[in-house]
Amino acid sequence: MNKEISQNKSPNEADQLQKRKDHFARNLARSAKTVLAELEENPDLPLGMHYFINIMREVFVKDRVHQLLLPSLHQSTNNRKIIGTYCIMVPEELIYAAGAIPVRLCGGSYEASCIGDELVPRDTCPVVKASIGFTSFNLISLYQMCDAVIVPTTCDSKRKMGEELSKFTEVWMLEVPHIKDSEGSRRQWLQQLYVLKKNLEKFTGRRFTGRKIRRKALDTSIKMIGSAQYQARRLYEIRKSSAPVILGREAMIAINAYSYATAFEWTKAMTGLNDELEARCHKGQFICSEHTPRILLASCSPIFPNWKIPSLIEEMGAVIVADESCMGNRYLYDPVGLTEKSMTDMMVSIAARYLMPCVCPSFAPNEDRLFRLLQMAEEFSIDGIIYYVLKGCVIYDFELIRVEKIMKDKNIPVLRIETDYSSEDIEQLRTRIEAFVEMLGTKKRNSLATKTLRF
Amino acid sequence: MTVTNLRWMALIISFFVLILGGLIGIDLGGFLPTYACPYVGQTRGGVCFLFRLQFILGVGSWEAFKALGEHLLYFSILVVLIGRAWCGWICPFGFVQDVLDLIRRKFHIGYIRFPERLRANLRCIKWIFFFIALLIPLWVAYPLFAPSVAGDLRQPFCSLCPGKYILPLVIGDPDSVAVDFKSATTITMTILGLTFSTLTIIGALLKRRFWCPYCPMGLLLSWYKKISFIKLKKDCQKCTMCEVCYNVCPVEIQQVFKERENEDVTFTDCTLCLRCVEYCPEDGALRATFLGKTIYKSTSKGFFSRQHIIPAVPEEKHQKAALEHTNE
Repeated sequence: MNKEISQNKSPNEADQLQKRKDHFARNLARSAKTVLAELEENPDLPLGMHYFINIMREVFVKDRVHQLLLPSLHQSTNNRKIIGTYCIMVPEELIYAAGAIPVRLCGGSYEASCIGDELVPRDTCPVVKASIGFTSFNLISLYQMCDAVIVPTTCDSKRKMGEELSKFTEVWMLEVPHIKDSEGSRRQWLQQLYVLKKNLEKFTGRRFTGRKIRRKALDTSIKMIGSAQYQARRLYEIRKSSAPVILGREAMIAINAYSYATAFEWTKAMTGLNDELEARCHKGQFICSEHTPRILLASCSPIFPNWKIPSLIEEMGAVIVADESCMGNRYLYDPVGLTEKSMTDMMVSIAARYLMPCVCPSFAPNEDRLFRLLQMAEEFSIDGIIYYVLKGCVIYDFELIRVEKIMKDKNIPVLRIETDYSSEDIEQLRTRIEAFVEMLGTKKRNSLATKTLRF
Repeated sequence: MTVTNLRWMALIISFFVLILGGLIGIDLGGFLPTYACPYVGQTRGGVCFLFRLQFILGVGSWEAFKALGEHLLYFSILVVLIGRAWCGWICPFGFVQDVLDLIRRKFHIGYIRFPERLRANLRCIKWIFFFIALLIPLWVAYPLFAPSVAGDLRQPFCSLCPGKYILPLVIGDPDSVAVDFKSATTITMTILGLTFSTLTIIGALLKRRFWCPYCPMGLLLSWYKKISFIKLKKDCQKCTMCEVCYNVCPVEIQQVFKERENEDVTFTDCTLCLRCVEYCPEDGALRATFLGKTIYKSTSKGFFSRQHIIPAVPEEKHQKAALEHTNE
């Protein structure tokens, strides 16, 4: 990949390329370090969070993802394949069942997005830019490690990204239908998963003994991811508590870390974190008062190390109690529902889980998302929604009008923020978010005051 | 105890009561809204309403119609009480199909799902059966033409119904599985009936509750769904449309997860087996109500315990008890 590029160039150019690479890698490590340091500064940081912060440090600062995913190099695990995935429609159950390890590659680095800038059209979203930047430029070994990459055809940018990525690595496209309701599209999706299953079997099997994905292995991996989902749901429940016990930016890091960890290890750590947080709830050890404005961070996903918006919101004195991004609450929310142990039922259930409840705006009609947002606003007693749009993410922006309309009926203010991964606009955003949070705070205090007067 | 286990218990008990109850002198009458097949002989514990309906219509006298009115009244009361839970929780033929389904599961063979189009086309079958059961007996009573054919068509639906052949066979009475050579009519009817029976046995081994969508009794019962006491309800806002309820549904009802407006999701084919409520992963998204009072509702914890991800949680026992009470 990179070697090929550098081989074609004169020694001088290669040297320059290397310099540039080092420069970017240094910057990436620095910005990741800053975010992590900020998180660790918090005196109320739950002890259980250190595992997740550590994952991020290993991947982005120390660049030791290999040790993280394949800890025992000398055992049989060292020839396990690593499969990169994008979006949340790739069934990790199948990857685990085939004996490979999935890592989610959606990029969040400003530095990588700068590299990607040169390779894609200007209006592409920074997620795609960063992902392409990472893949083309070997900033961290995570992207080089993947033996194959699965790209679902979700939005336009991701779809074309798959094509671009194939210059650098082996790409399997996974066709996601855009209309969920029709029987035809669901059947087609199921067929796609059967094809993926076959590909995985071929890919991970030894040369002559095409190792099949067995029923038992699939069942085990469904259970393994199921328990991760159970823990993610526990965190989700805990964050509903009237006074928060964990900051949104911390909880989101914890979920985000699932991308780079094996499900089993992650679940163990998450169980610990949840136990700790539940204890906090019992003891009444809240990190901020009940009067803190509660924010729902909607739409685009903050992906580490781009922690700009979550940090800003919480610095301004609000707390993110929920988010609906595909790197956050939605990532591990919907479970696979099995009723029997036949291969058919497992495949049908997996197909259903990855398609039907997904509220990615690349689906149309996507009314389900509005229901989901309404339900979340109610469950988490949301005071305001920050509608976070990454530049170039047209589909999320499209849905803003509908979201604003339904939230107006519920009397929940929505603030739209459009930004990318650069830190240029941070002061401007700070002012806007500050004003929004202050408005919410006043509103909340007033309503609480009238409530107390009434009783 | 899960609802599934409870339902199995109810099915087993009612199978013994309805099919073998006669041995200990149980006779529940001729208006039962379920396949209490009289062809099992003296051991029967009651009689299927469809049998009695055809019989009475076939007599055709004024007295007979009066008796029919009385039977219809009792039948209606029973159906209003628990709706199509008769199908999911009591029907002996449903039990036989569930046992066949269990065998399929034990061998880890996947189920078959018909395409929507085919299912829509097959929907007319139960209506055909229903009109056979309703109109042919009238012809038998007033044989204006071809009286010899009409004479051999007593209980026309029964001779087509797979229950007539399979249920006696289940309790060890193979005599019923035979072609009746009395006349050309009986030969045709019994051959058709045996074909349906074979199809149902094979079908039930491959598809969950194979016969239920074609059952005319189910059609009769579904007319009461608006006024029946038991209802399946959904909180549309809580639903994530994850499709789990569709995948677990033995009669494959899609509308439950697709519904976005109405609270009532008791659809025509629904046998109220409550598997969808059991397997729904959202707290309170689906629930079963009896006279408007919630007797069972979905929980996230319940879902994960059924997936064997967390140890089973002790569930509200009184809810289950309430449900069992209404069933027995």
